[in-house]
Formats: sequence, structure tokens, C-alpha cells
Amino acid sequence: MFATLLKRELMLARRNWVGILIPLFFFVMVVSLFPFAVSPEAEFLQQIAAGVVWVAALLSVLLSLDMFYRSDYQDGSLEQLLIMASPTQVALSKVTAHWLVTGLPLVLMSPVLAGLMHLNYSPDANVATSHTAVMMLSLLLGTPTMCLLGAIGMSLSLAASRNGMLVAVMILPLYVPILIFGSAVITASLTNSGYNAQLAILGAILLFALVLTPFAAGRALKVAVS
Amino acid sequence: MGSNNSNLEVKGLTISRNEQILLEDIDLAFKAGTISHLIGENGAGKTSLMRALAGLLSLDSGEVFWNSLKSNHPEANFSKVLLFLAHNLAMKHELSIAENLQFYSALRGKRASTSDIQQVATELHIESLLDRNFAELSAGQQHKVSLCRLKLEQTKLWILDEPFVNLDAQTRDWLSQQLMSFANNGGVVIFTSHQAIEGLKIHQRVSLSHQQEVSA
Repeated sequence: MFATLLKRELMLARRNWVGILIPLFFFVMVVSLFPFAVSPEAEFLQQIAAGVVWVAALLSVLLSLDMFYRSDYQDGSLEQLLIMASPTQVALSKVTAHWLVTGLPLVLMSPVLAGLMHLNYSPDANVATSHTAVMMLSLLLGTPTMCLLGAIGMSLSLAASRNGMLVAVMILPLYVPILIFGSAVITASLTNSGYNAQLAILGAILLFALVLTPFAAGRALKVAVS
Repeated sequence: MGSNNSNLEVKGLTISRNEQILLEDIDLAFKAGTISHLIGENGAGKTSLMRALAGLLSLDSGEVFWNSLKSNHPEANFSKVLLFLAHNLAMKHELSIAENLQFYSALRGKRASTSDIQQVATELHIESLLDRNFAELSAGQQHKVSLCRLKLEQTKLWILDEPFVNLDAQTRDWLSQQLMSFANNGGVVIFTSHQAIEGLKIHQRVSLSHQQEVSA
């Protein structure tokens, strides 16, 4: 049943491919504004790269949330899904599809932006650095959590209003820990200190969210249709 | 579907909307093989009652039973037996008719074959549109697509909100036939309609008004 639900979400996402690309373009554009706005100097950009990439990724995930929940709510499909499948499965299928078509592309696109932000810059040209790979790893662990938490916020706000800003205000505070540890991973890598602890915490948050949030989001979906 | 153990029962049902009590302390029984017509003016709570039966609305009090088990009891298998067609057709505009219908039948556990879909679509004269996107159809055709679900999904309880609205005479007759043959096979049908439907044998009329009365 989960496979059926997931297949449907992915099929719908494929038909709405423009809607999928917009958050990705947003991500690229926000990051690429910084060299213009701040300074094109490699050393300086490298310092702010972690924060910039993470904040942009976070906003991009928020931007893409709406299309996975709103249309099903409006055309009555959500009711049908909740009648025929368990709410938890419905929520989990949406989160999975959401991450696959928006979170994963962010991770894959991030090396390009790391290049733009001179993340791998080293004063000594002979020393190769692995900061970009570390950043991808942090995003790989962080973006699914953002999708999971976003699912709760989105489900709760479905019935409340048509205003997407409500979700942002509700969910952004919950993203703060992910943002802190996510960018801390990269900062630690830049200062050549260990970053395993930060990565482990990101992973732990992901596992914790994976267990609890589909259930909570499912309940919220149920409340939204009633 | 021939088995006779299909009974929907409601005991002590109270539902309210926006702090206002809509239906109070209602007892209803919908037996296997019957067609029940819910009657009531706009705002009397027909849709709310249907949504409550379908488990979508939270109840202030009371219980819904399917075969003497609470409808949300896992063993009642209520989600498997219930087909609820609401006002909004719950079809995705980006998908083709066939894809929409296949998804819902797959969610029931048995994906409808192309020939099954072809057959129902032919009965409703929309067979040439199967590969079109749902968004490209007219309102009446869209409604017909949602009616196809009645024949493609193996269920025992149909709750239909205004299924006859917007249909041409031919399709109305088709739908009446479907309701009657479904009931003859032991199914339970509950529907709303503001018009009387010619040729449809109705076993029970449930009238919802501010003072609740039920006539069999």
C-alpha cells in the first residue's frame, strides 16, 4: 500500500516538474547572490558558505512543501486517501516523495554551490580538502528531517488558512537545531577539527523524527479533513 | 459480495459544527441489501452525517458500527469495504482517467485491469477519453469518471453524496441500475438527492431536519 501511495506521489510530481524545479532554482539563486552582495573573495565566502547553503536549503524545502499537501486537500483526494489508507502511511509517502524530488536534488546540486562559495578553498594550493563532501553529507542527513518536520506544520495548517507563511512561522523554529548542527558540521570541517559528533547528532535527530513525525503528521491530516 | 454480513449501525450519534449541534442522539441502521435515501434541506447535516459515517468527521458522541464492530476497529476492515463519493471528485487533474482509476483500485489491493476500466468507461460512453488528462474533461464527464469507481472497486458500502446531480438521463438510469444490483448482491447504499429518482427502488428514507425523524 505504501508503494502504491509513493508511486502516485512521484507520478504527480513528475507531471508537475516545473513546480519541482522552482525550489531548486531558488536554492541556486539565493546562494549565488551572496558573492555579488558580500564579496567575491574566496577566503571570506568560505567562512560564510556553511550558513548560506544551509539557510538556502532550508527555505527551499519550505517553499516546496505546499504542492505536496495543498492540492490533495483541495480536490478531496486527501479524504479518499485517509479513508483507504492509514494516515501514517499517507504522511510517510508524502514525506518520502517530497524528499526524493526536492531534498535529494538539493544535496546533489550543493557541490556546484560549494564551488561558487569557494568552500574547498585552501591557501596552500597543494592541499586537497574534503569540505564539499562533508557538506553533502550534512545535507543528506538534514534535509529528510526538514521534510519530516515540514509535514507536521503543513498538515496542521492545511485547514487553517491558505497562507503559506503560517507554515514558515510554525516550522522555522523547529528547523533551528538542524541548522545549528548542519552548519556546525561544515564549520568543524573548515577548522580541521572532528565533525563526527555533529553528524551523529544530525543522524540522531533524523531517526527520532522518522519514528515520530509520520504519526503526528498523519493525525494532523486527519484533523485537517474533519 | 453475496454474504449478508453487511450492516451499518449508528448509535447515539451527535455531531456539531462550529459549536452548533447539527444532529443529536441519532440511532440509525442500514441493513445489507438496502438502499437508503437521506433527505433534508440544505444545511440539515446530510453531508456531515455521511462524513461521520465514513469516519472523516469527529463525533461529539456515539459510535458507528460495521457488522457490530466499531468502524474504527481494525478487524471491522471498514476502510476496505467503504466507498465514499463526495462532492469533490477527488481525482488528480494531472493524471489521465485510467491512471486515476487505477490508483484507487490499486489502493484497495487489486489494481483494475485495462479491460475492466475499458468496459465501465464504455458503459458510460467515456471510453475514448481514457488517456486524456482529467483536467481536459467537462464537468459531467468528470463526474462520470468518479462513478466508474463504483464498478472497479470491490466494496460493500456505498456512501454517495448527491451522485445524481449533473447527470444526463441515460447516466442516471445507469447509476440507478448500479445501485439496485449492488443492493441485490448484499451491498448497503446510502445516498442523498434533492430530486426523486425514477425507477430506483428505495428501501429506507431518512429525513434529517431540526427535529429528527426516521421513516422506514
